[in-house]
Amino acid sequence: MGRLTDLMNYGPISPFRLRTKLLLLALTTLALPWAGCQYAREMETVLRESEQQSLLAVTTTIAGSLKGRQELLFRADSLPGDTGNPGEGDITPVVLSGAPLIDGRADEWDTDARNVVRVAGPGGDSLRILAATHERWLYLALLVRDNRLVFDASELEPLVRENIGDRVWLAFDDKRGGQQRLFFGGTGVGPLRGRFIETREYGREQAVEEPRIEAVWQRTRNSDGYVMEIGVPLSMVGQHLGVLIDDRDRRGATRESYGTLDPSDLRATGRLIAASPDLGDHLRQFAQPGVELSVASATGATLTRLDAPALPGDYTRFRGFLPRMYRLFLDGDLIPRSVTEAERQRAAQDLTQRAVKGMPATTFIAGRYENSVTVAAAAPIFAADGKRIIGVVQLTQTADRWLTLRDRALTRLLNLTLFVTLFAVGAAFWFAGRMTLRISRLGQASETALSREGNLSRVLPEASAKDELGDLSRSFSSLLGRLDEYTGYLRTLAGKLAHEIRTPLTIVRSSLENLESEANSDNARIYIARAREGSERLGAILSAMGEATKVEEAIAHSERQRFDLSALVRTAVDAYRTAFQARKFACEAPGDTVEFTGAPDLIVQMLDKLIDNAVDFSAEGDTITVELRVEDGFADLSVANPGPALPAETSTRLFESLWQSRTEADKRPHFGLGLYIVRLIAEFHGGSARAENLADGSGAIFTVRLAR
Amino acid sequence: MRKTIAIVEDERAIRDNYAAAFSREGYAVRGYPNRREAMAAFAARLPDLAVIDISLEDEPEGGFELCRELRGLSAELPIIFLTARDSELDAVSGLRLGADDFLTKDLSLAHLIARVNALFRRVDALRRPPEEKQVIRRGALTLDGERMSAQWNGEVVLLSLTEFWIVYALTRHPGHVKNRQQLMDAANVVLDDNTITSHIKRIRRKFQVVDEKFDAVHTVYGMGYRWVE
Repeated sequence: MGRLTDLMNYGPISPFRLRTKLLLLALTTLALPWAGCQYAREMETVLRESEQQSLLAVTTTIAGSLKGRQELLFRADSLPGDTGNPGEGDITPVVLSGAPLIDGRADEWDTDARNVVRVAGPGGDSLRILAATHERWLYLALLVRDNRLVFDASELEPLVRENIGDRVWLAFDDKRGGQQRLFFGGTGVGPLRGRFIETREYGREQAVEEPRIEAVWQRTRNSDGYVMEIGVPLSMVGQHLGVLIDDRDRRGATRESYGTLDPSDLRATGRLIAASPDLGDHLRQFAQPGVELSVASATGATLTRLDAPALPGDYTRFRGFLPRMYRLFLDGDLIPRSVTEAERQRAAQDLTQRAVKGMPATTFIAGRYENSVTVAAAAPIFAADGKRIIGVVQLTQTADRWLTLRDRALTRLLNLTLFVTLFAVGAAFWFAGRMTLRISRLGQASETALSREGNLSRVLPEASAKDELGDLSRSFSSLLGRLDEYTGYLRTLAGKLAHEIRTPLTIVRSSLENLESEANSDNARIYIARAREGSERLGAILSAMGEATKVEEAIAHSERQRFDLSALVRTAVDAYRTAFQARKFACEAPGDTVEFTGAPDLIVQMLDKLIDNAVDFSAEGDTITVELRVEDGFADLSVANPGPALPAETSTRLFESLWQSRTEADKRPHFGLGLYIVRLIAEFHGGSARAENLADGSGAIFTVRLAR
Repeated sequence: MRKTIAIVEDERAIRDNYAAAFSREGYAVRGYPNRREAMAAFAARLPDLAVIDISLEDEPEGGFELCRELRGLSAELPIIFLTARDSELDAVSGLRLGADDFLTKDLSLAHLIARVNALFRRVDALRRPPEEKQVIRRGALTLDGERMSAQWNGEVVLLSLTEFWIVYALTRHPGHVKNRQQLMDAANVVLDDNTITSHIKRIRRKFQVVDEKFDAVHTVYGMGYRWVE
């Protein structure tokens, strides 16, 4: 009987193969989060564009509302470029978010800003004009380099020549087209008032304080000059504004004037490019949470800016480990890398420049904080004729809100897909594990069903399963069933054959016996004797063939009894010494009584077969060793003989029916039934039989394990 | 008057060979191929001894049936089962039906004739008064060599011919181990080890029927058996 296992062993079978495969299959669900990300990106692009478009629409609306409103942008009906020449004296205030402190200190001013107006004076003196607006105020900081600060002699008589020290003139248009000229000077540092010179009756001139204008001056820290800060309400100032320094080496000396005013008539020619305070009010009606509004002139100078009101709600972006991981492969090119302030400003200016050319524009700019993004839009403000561009409206909106919303949605999506993936992987793992278990159980069952030579167990696991494994199991079962029938047929074949042959053999033998009794010639007697010898050998073969069946019957009718196994072995070995005098026998059995429950006749028969086998394979004078070793629960009975080694692959097959591995010609009939009978008897005693080569290769040892 | 032997055997060649052998020994032989013909003839006239095969033509168990019917006609008629079937179960069944012996066809004609003669001798002996010299007494056991009958504590133990000869061989020299070959020779049979073991078992059981404590037949493992008083 071939073993199916030999056919199945096409290679080492790893129990994880199926599981690994299914696991890999389950990992394809990871495409789900990937698809989710792609979808999210698409959505984000759409979202971003719509955000840009809506912001741009608002920007255009605001720009439209400012169309032709020069008076709002520049506090006059005419544009800055319409009067006078654009020149060095132009003052472009920066727009501040908070009012500066008027204290005569230049600390809070950016003295190197682009909008600083520089005027060189005589003898290394110089003037720097810094300007800023906040809401309705214009702030000026005059940084004057003067090696010698000369104060007025008297507060009361500022117009008396001998009393006059260093003076600062501020001149500007008023709303009615007139010129306002104020001078600042005092008897010491600190707060001071600007004063007009009014001509009273009889040409008498008098200095009148202007209460709306605040000013403070202080020496610079290293005393190389002084700083004067002036606060002027924007409502007083027209389109032109200038500053003149009257420097005197001593009181009453001839002045040395320099600045942005014409020294002869103190007329302001430099423009003040600043919005009307009403522009802020106008823009405020468009204010939205998170949106910063600013208006710039056509030259790009910021006229006013409205800071973004705070957004309601919490728009903190990704928090926690997983969302951070998501962001790693989500943001990518969507979110600009964090940039420097200068880069951000340049980006804003680029946008303004595009708007100045007449085209509304929008872009994304990295925010001030890490991972924050702003969307900016700019639109040109047209003059009333709809052709000239008088300014630009720019809106900047933080994208945090919708980024946060996107993040939340994505986090939810990714969490969900991750969960689904894990679930799928887990389910696949479980399924694969179960499958593997079922298959290996089936495999094992079919293997053991086969390895129990002769007695195939037909009930396999999974037989009741309704899936393909059930089919497989049933196929196996029917295969094994057929195999069983076939094995049974083979097993009984010898017996049946023996029985069938016995009748013709009886005919032959009885005929020969009758023939023998007739008067025969001498020759005939010789032939008859040969024929009888042949028929006797045939008979011996037949009874050997039927022996296994008989033993099976004998086993079926055996009764167990308690007896001393050790004594039985010793007596039996004594008998073998007499029976096989060409061999020596060594017996190693416990001297004590070994209580054993079984069929002593069968044990002896089994021993007979083992001894027969040992005698067959050993040479004359060899010593056959019979050993009985008793352990807890079982007894090992072994017969060892010197002789040829067993073929490697036959150690288990030796005990199968009709297995014959001997090669030498032998007169006695051998059907390999001897060791099969050994196995039958060992199994009857709840044991097993095995054959091994002796460790030193000098022979073979057959061991029968009997359960006690 | 010549004794008549009936051979019921469906295999014609075997039947004729046996018939020839018995005729040579001076017996009148009648052969029947099946149960029907045999019963028809037996109803008319009983033979002195019947040799019956178990399997008869279309009846696999026909011999058993025939034995039962024949025993119905005569309680004393010696019946021998001669069959190719040698299973333990068949032997037990045959002997239980009242057969005097159960033999396999391996048996040589010479042995068969020896048994037939022995059975006739027993039948004759049963008709004569018992002769003391043929009687062996071993404790509770009484063996009548002529009648081939055994008694234990005065109770008759029904042994088949083979069984009787085995007991007889064992008790001739109590305490001596008789190996299987010796027992086979004594019983005029060629049997394998398993069959000898079965016979010994059956003998013990039959004695145990009349005496539960019967333990006179000892097994000497690897050697044989001995009778212990």
